[in-house]
Amino acid sequence: MAAGNAPSAHEREQIIGMMEKEMEYRVDMFNKLTHTCFSKCVENKYKEAELNMGENSCIDRCVSKYWQVTNLVGQLLGNSRPPM
Amino acid sequence: MLLHHKMHQSPRFRLYICLQWRKFKARIFGIIVLSAVLSVELWSAGGGLGLAMGLFLGALDNPLMQDQMTGRQQLIYQAKQMGQRSWSSCKAFAVMGFVFSAAECVVEKARAKHDITNTVVAGCVTGGAISARGGPKATCVGCAGFAAFSVVIEKFLERHT
Repeated sequence: MAAGNAPSAHEREQIIGMMEKEMEYRVDMFNKLTHTCFSKCVENKYKEAELNMGENSCIDRCVSKYWQVTNLVGQLLGNSRPPM
Repeated sequence: MLLHHKMHQSPRFRLYICLQWRKFKARIFGIIVLSAVLSVELWSAGGGLGLAMGLFLGALDNPLMQDQMTGRQQLIYQAKQMGQRSWSSCKAFAVMGFVFSAAECVVEKARAKHDITNTVVAGCVTGGAISARGGPKATCVGCAGFAAFSVVIEKFLERHT
C-alpha cells in the first residue's frame, strides 16, 4: 500500500471535480427555476414595480413544486437505473 | 364505519392522514393570518375613505337652516347631530372597506392571479354581506350591484394610473 499522500491527492482532485460539477448543476438549476417561474407567473405588461399578492403566491407555489419535482425525479433515477 | 378497514388501522395510513390534516390546518391558518395582516393594512385606507365619506355625507344630510342661526344652542345641537351621523356612517364605510379588502386578499391569495375577477368576487361578497338581511333576492341584487360598482371604480383607478 502506498503512503497516505498520493491517493489522498488524487482523491482530493476527484472531490474537487465533483464539487465543481455539483456547483455547476446547482447554478444551472437555479437559473432554470428562476426563468421558468418568472415566465409562468409574472405577466408581460409591467404595470407596477412591486410584485402583486397573486404573483407572490404563484412564485411560492412554482418554486415549491419545481423543488418537489426535482427531488422526486432524482429519487426515481437514483433508485432504479433504467436499462438504456 | 369508514375507518374499520384493515388498511386504515396501519400506522402509516394514520400518519398520512395526520400530515394531511396538519397541512390543511396550516394552510387555513396561514390564509387567515395573512389576510388579517393585509386587511389591517388596507383597512386604514378603507377607514380613511370611510371617515371622509362619512363627514361629507353627514354634512350633506344636515344643512344648517338659516332661520335657526340666531340661537347658538341650536347651532351646537346641529353640529352634534352632524358629528354623530358622520361617525356612524364612517363606521359603516370602514366595515365595508374592511370586508372588501379581506375578501379580495383571500381570493387573490388563493387564485395566485392578479385579475379583475378578484375584484368582482370580493365586491359580490361585500354586497351580499351587507344586504343579507333582506333575504336571498336582496343578497343577489346587493352582490351584483356592489360588484359592478367596484369594477367601475377599479377601471377608473387603472385608467388614472
